[in-house]
This record gives sequence, C-alpha cells and structure tokens, in this order.
Amino acid sequence: MALNFKVGLIGLLDMLKFANLAKDREKVIASAPANEITADYPVNKFAKAMHPDYQPFVIEDIIDHAAAGAKSFILKRSDGKPASYFRAGQYISLKLPIGDSFVTRPYSISSSPTWALDGLVAVTVKANPGGFAADWMLDNFKVGDEVKGSEGLGSFFYEKYRDARHVIALAGGSGITPFLSMAYAIRDGIEDFDLTILFGSRTEDAILFRKELDEICAETDKVKVVHVLSDEKKKGFENGFITADLIKKYAGNDPYSVFICGPEAMYRFVGKEVDKLGLEKKNVRQEFLGATKTVWLEPGYPQDKKDKVFKLTVRQGPNETVCDCSANEPILVAIERAGIKAPSRCRSGECGWCRSRVTSGDVFIPGATDGRRWADKQCGEIHPCASFALSDITIVVPGEYY
Amino acid sequence: MAAKYDVVVVGAGNAGLSAAVKCAVEGYKVLLIDQHNLPGGCASSFRRGRFEFDPSVHEICDFGPEDNKGHVRLLMERNGVNVNWITVPDCYRCISTYSDGTPMDVTMPCGRENFIAAMEKYVPGSRPSMEKFFDLLLEIRAAKVYMNDGTPNDAKYMQKHFPNTLRACGYNTLKVLQALKIPQKAIDILGVYWPYLGVPLDTINFFHFGNMIDMYVIRQAVIPHHTSHEISMTFLNRFYELGGEAWFNCRAEEFLFDGDKVCGVRTSLGDVECEQCLANINPDIIDAKMIPKDRVPERDKKLSAARNKKFSTKFCMIYMALNKPIEEIGINDYCIFFAETADSRKEYEYMKSIDNDYNILISYNTLIPDFSPAGTSVISFTKLFSESEDWAKLTPQEYYKMKDKMIGKCIADVKKNLGIDLTPYIEEVEVATPMTFARYLGTPDGTPYGFELSDWDGIIARMMDIQADFTIKGLRHIGAGSFMADGYSSTWINGDLCAQLVCADLREGGNK
Repeated sequence: MALNFKVGLIGLLDMLKFANLAKDREKVIASAPANEITADYPVNKFAKAMHPDYQPFVIEDIIDHAAAGAKSFILKRSDGKPASYFRAGQYISLKLPIGDSFVTRPYSISSSPTWALDGLVAVTVKANPGGFAADWMLDNFKVGDEVKGSEGLGSFFYEKYRDARHVIALAGGSGITPFLSMAYAIRDGIEDFDLTILFGSRTEDAILFRKELDEICAETDKVKVVHVLSDEKKKGFENGFITADLIKKYAGNDPYSVFICGPEAMYRFVGKEVDKLGLEKKNVRQEFLGATKTVWLEPGYPQDKKDKVFKLTVRQGPNETVCDCSANEPILVAIERAGIKAPSRCRSGECGWCRSRVTSGDVFIPGATDGRRWADKQCGEIHPCASFALSDITIVVPGEYY
Repeated sequence: MAAKYDVVVVGAGNAGLSAAVKCAVEGYKVLLIDQHNLPGGCASSFRRGRFEFDPSVHEICDFGPEDNKGHVRLLMERNGVNVNWITVPDCYRCISTYSDGTPMDVTMPCGRENFIAAMEKYVPGSRPSMEKFFDLLLEIRAAKVYMNDGTPNDAKYMQKHFPNTLRACGYNTLKVLQALKIPQKAIDILGVYWPYLGVPLDTINFFHFGNMIDMYVIRQAVIPHHTSHEISMTFLNRFYELGGEAWFNCRAEEFLFDGDKVCGVRTSLGDVECEQCLANINPDIIDAKMIPKDRVPERDKKLSAARNKKFSTKFCMIYMALNKPIEEIGINDYCIFFAETADSRKEYEYMKSIDNDYNILISYNTLIPDFSPAGTSVISFTKLFSESEDWAKLTPQEYYKMKDKMIGKCIADVKKNLGIDLTPYIEEVEVATPMTFARYLGTPDGTPYGFELSDWDGIIARMMDIQADFTIKGLRHIGAGSFMADGYSSTWINGDLCAQLVCADLREGGNK
C-alpha cells in the first residue's frame, strides 16, 4: 500500500536528516561529559520522608489514664528526624513483635500535627477484654522501648471541599483521639473548621483528655466539647447515649457533617441515630471499625464452618509456611501467629495494604468490610485482615519492609 | 541457594507486565517482582468510600477496531490478554484560546472524515491541507509497519515507498504542519493532544505526533470498563495462567553480576538468579543505585549527562466522586481540555509553574454509566507540570494546603468554563501529586513518563540506535525510560519488544 504523493516539503536533504537521526544522537551523547550518575530527586526525597517504609520510634513518655483504663504513649523518632507529617484524624499502624509473632495495630494519632515537626507522635491504647496486642502494650511498654510505626494513614480527616464547615464529632471512649488531634490542629491554625465534639464516656472520672480538651476550648471558639455520660447523671453534662435529638440540639441551623469514631457498640447505636437525621452519605464519615469478631453472625455465613480449624499454606517470596487457621478469626491473624511478617494497616478490610492472592480454597468476606477493588473481586485477591477461611487455603502474601 | 529463573522482570508496571507475559508465552520460567503491593504502576486503581478511582488513564490509543487493528490490540490478542474495552467516540473538547488570542471551544470527533469536517466547520478552508495531512499519516503508518516487521530496513525501498515519511520525520511537528500549509487555527486545534507527548509542537518529532493522531483519531481510543486495574490484573492473570510467578512488596535492591553479565537480582525477599533481566526502571536509577559504581558504562554516563535529568511531564491528579449522575450535573463530554492557550510553546512555559491553569477533565460515567454506584459519578482532573521545582520547594505543612488549592482550582475551572458548581456534590476527593507518583512509582521526580523527547532524543532516533542503549549484558531497561517513551500503549509495546529480544538471546544460548 505504498502511497507516493508530493507533500512539497523542504527538499532532498530531508531524507538525509532522517537517516542521520541516530548518528546525530550519538554525536550529542559523545560530546557529553562522563559524569557520575546520581539519582537523588527532591520530589522523591520529599515522598520518602512523608511515606517511609516505617518510622523508628522510642517511647519518650507514658501517660496513665487509670480511670479510663488507658495509657497514652508519646513516641519520638529515634533517628532524630521529624515524624512524617500527617493530617489530623489519621491513624498510625504500630508494628509489634509479640512473642514469635509480628502483629500490627492501627491507632488514631492524638497529638497535633505540629508535634510531628519535633519528631513526636502520641497514641492512646485502651485495655480491651481479650485484646491481645492492646493488653501486651499496656503491660510491657516502658519509656525507652523501641517501636516501629507507619506514617499517618487513612482518609478520616477534614477536607474543606468535601465536608461541611461545621463538623459534629461523635466520639466514644478512646475514639476521642482523632478528634483531639483535629482540635489541636484547629487551635494551631493548621485546620480551619468548626468542630463540635459530642463525647461519650461512662462517668465523669473516666473522661479522657478532659484537661486538654478544656484548654483547647478556652483557646479557640471553633472547638466545642459536650460530654455525654452513659452511667452517671450530673449537672453540666448530657446524660445517656448520643442520639439524633442530641446531635440536632448542637448542630445549629447550618449544614453539618458527622464524623464518628468509637468502639463497635457505639457504632451500632449511633449509626441508627445518625440514619434518622437523613443526611447525605457525603456528610457522614466514620473511622474504620476493624473486622468483625463474630463472623458467624454475618448474613450468609455457612454455620457448619464455625469453630473449625483449617490448614493454611502461606507463600511469601521464595518461602512457604504451613500453619493452622481458625475459621473464627481473620486469616491475617493466623498468618501473624505463624511468625510471618505480612503487610497490614487498617485491619478493617478497607485500605488494601494486606491484599493477597488465594490460589486454592474458599473464604468468607463480610460485605460490610469488603473494600476490595472490582477486578480483585473477580480473580481471587482478598484482604486477609477481613477475610475468613472456609476450607484449607493456600495464599500468596506480599513482602513487608519493616 | 537462590531461586533460579530464565528471566526476572523488575517492576510490574505496563512494560513489566507485557514483558513478563511475552516471556512466559515463549515458555520461559519468569519471576515478576514489584515494590508495591499490586501490579500496574500507574495502571491501577484505588478505593475511597463506595468508589473506585483510576489513578491515571485518559484514553488508550493504538488499540483500533477489528478491521484496523492497532499494535496494542495485536499484542493483546497474540498474548491472550482479553480486556473488556469501551470505545471513546470523540477525541476531545477543548476550551482554550487560539494563538491569535480569540476564544476557542471545539469538540473534535474521531474518524478522518468526521475530524476533517469538524475542522472545516471551525476553520473554513482547512480541508485541503487536512486531507494532505491525513494522507501523510497513512504513509507513515505503512512505513511504521515496514520498520517494525523485524527485518532490516532497506534505505532504497524506504526512499521509493515512503519518501514523504522520510522527508517529514526529520523535522519537528510545527515545521511540518506549516509546510503542509495548515492554517494556524487548525494547527491549534490539531495540537490539543501535544501534552501527551510532553514537549511542544516546535520540539516533538513529526513522526511521534503524526503517529499519535493516527492512533487517536483514526483508530479511536479505548478505555477499560473497570479502571486500569482491570487491565493490569488481566495481564497478571494471564501470566499466572502461563506458570509465571510474581512477588509483590518486593524491592529490587541491586543487580548481581557474573563477570560483566547480570546474573541475578538482590531483592528484599532474597536473592534470585536469572539468565536475563528486564528492568522496568529508569536507567539513571539503575546506574546510580542498583549496580556497582565501577560497572556503570561510560556511555550511560554520557547519555545521562546529555539528557541532564530532563524528565518529561509531572502530574497532579485530582479525583472526585460526586453524589449525582453526571448528566444531572451537566457534563456531557468524556474528555475536556482546559488550556490557557493553544500555543503549545507558551503553554509548555506556563506549565513550569505550579500555578498554571492547564487542566484536563475526564468524566468516566459519560461513557460507562456503571463506573460508580447508581446515582453517582466519578471525574478526574489532570494538571501538568513541565518542571517539579515548585513542588519540591513545599514544606510538609504547605503540601496539604497545596493539595487543597489544587482541588479549589479544579472547581474554579469547571465553574469558569462550564458554568457548573461541583461543590455541593463532592462525596470523596483525593489528590495525587508528583510526590504521590514518586511514592508509588519511584520514578525520577515522580514523573509517570520518561526522559523528555527532546529534538535529538526522539523515539525514532532512539529506535535507530536501539542496541547502543543496552549497555549492560543480561540487563535491558524497559518502560517509560526506554526507547519508546511513555504512555500506556508505548510501554506495553516496548515491554513486549524487549521481551522478544530477550527471548531471542535465550534461544541463542543467552551469553548476551
């Protein structure tokens, strides 16, 4: 299909120019100096500081909130660098070597982002019945201990083009932490929005960070805190649970967004109350809840699998490990128990960091925490942190960098 | 003892995936590794709330219809990679200012006749020169088929059959378009796609530009139904089907040598041995960080110095999920370019600044109604930067403010150009900056692209010089930093071609 027509271009020399493209290129290369090649790019350096493989910390201080059954751990970068800057409301994934296992736990950062510039990050850990890692940290962590953590993660932060200017935060117990960080950020001029925190605690004594919250409220009128006591009736406090009416009482007349963070029981109650408000989806945001602890209660769960123990074969790079896997726990837990350093962050099925490939066997994935990509759902990719074994399974897990 | 493979492919981006599949199709034992926890590099997806977003795709060119198959389609059919494609009916709408300062708002359809007719409507009298232009593209396409058929190119044959190609392709695009006597306004409209090549019309070789128009306008573009992650997973599953092995969250730390030949890779999950290695990594990074200093070839140093870290376009992507159907919001076009000026040189200069007003709006649901849950829609904005200096200067505190500023700019662009206020509908919004791309891709300055296609270093020149650029035995760099430069199509094809070279070496006993 040779076409031979005249475009009437520049002349005969053009063909020579074409033929010489390679020769001309070689000339340019030959005349360049043979300098040492470097690959330190400022943009990449910035990205690495924001998103390191992990942050090495030492425990700088421990604050005991005895009445609330919690402790705050102040972590300081042990390499003298600033902590990765984060958005108030984000969480950090702690990487904990417990016994022969490598487990991770996500904790909302409670400190101001400004602290990060001095290398500091604070998290608050609450005792939780049967809570393996939380109890281990509360019992074992001492000042001076080393601990590794991720950078700030997640999308639980204020975004002015998405959220209403007035945010009503519904916090339960240690669920106050992301909102404390947001309150600090507002006080410190990093964020600019109006934050009303409806903070549920059992009793006045058990209120976490009361002093800190009072101080912030005294310093900025953009932050307001309403304490809601479930187990105590006291003057100056709201009593009972956080209801739709209570939210309306403090919402005022302007549009508002609702942010929720607290324990599972609170989500169940508050979720229904928030539904009554008839807000658009975009105006209701909640922090991840974790995978279900009672998978057998999930709709569609095959009841004959409950309490079974299956064989789990885990491949990671060139290595293969075989271990037991309880049907009642996320597959990730079995992987961690087997001493495999596998990636995980949110542990709620959402962030996808633990994304792994099942090459044989069946799994159960509760719909509420199925945060997988469309294509992954079609081809056997799962998030082990929120997937449960229904048979013997072979799984290929990614590596981890800490 | 380290695991042993015929081929190790480092980097499961587009080029790595297509290279790995090709080597596996040829029956070789292949290991594919990637530093991230999923395949695709840019060709991926991410979730926020009830939405899934595509991080990068606008339109994929060179696929082509059944009766005019493009290279991408041929490659995928040959290797058994079957994706559900959606054809993009229009090329683009562009709202800008012509070089002469008058306002521009044009919508250009696909297909030669439609395109020329639309051009005649916008620029009366442009038809004869546009006909010539498309005739020339036909000849270039034939020349490309001849040049890519794997046999040595005969200069006499080419002079006889492709004289106009040879005449035109030694020059930059602007020169050729002017020589074809295309009116300036028509050049402005025709040039809208220039940023996809990273350099303005007065720099980009006509071969690349003509080829791109041929692929987009004549062969039409396609997009995947369920984000680019669907494409990458289709490649990966085909690779698994062929017996391939892949390790994710696995970083290649250095290349291992036996004498002067690469014989393996040190990875974060252990050492692996191989006969041949394909590295989907920018060659500067390989030389600077992944091989011993005394093994860096002299020519690499000179080539790197000549290129002088001039990397192609950097991106800032703004992704939005809206809680209204796209037709209710009032956006009807899949792809709209908002440019300050249609003068590509001027725009390129503007793009050095973080404050430039260039933007490309993609509205997925206009073509794929179920791209997002019923009653919602997903759009993305692409802002381009020819330099990254302004980004690198930001402090962490300023960084998040800049992300917000970028969102604000996008909202303002849509308000100004389309008269639509998006603010009430934003359910999710996310911003990927050059830093974000650097984080996930590890590319220089976070460019999803490769080296700038400067006048001396265009794709044809690189391809004519192809063997000279592979300086280390047993190691071939592929992807956006390789000879076919950037873009989905180019990198798939580049990976496939390099895999063919590797397979040929392996068949010959592999001491290359």
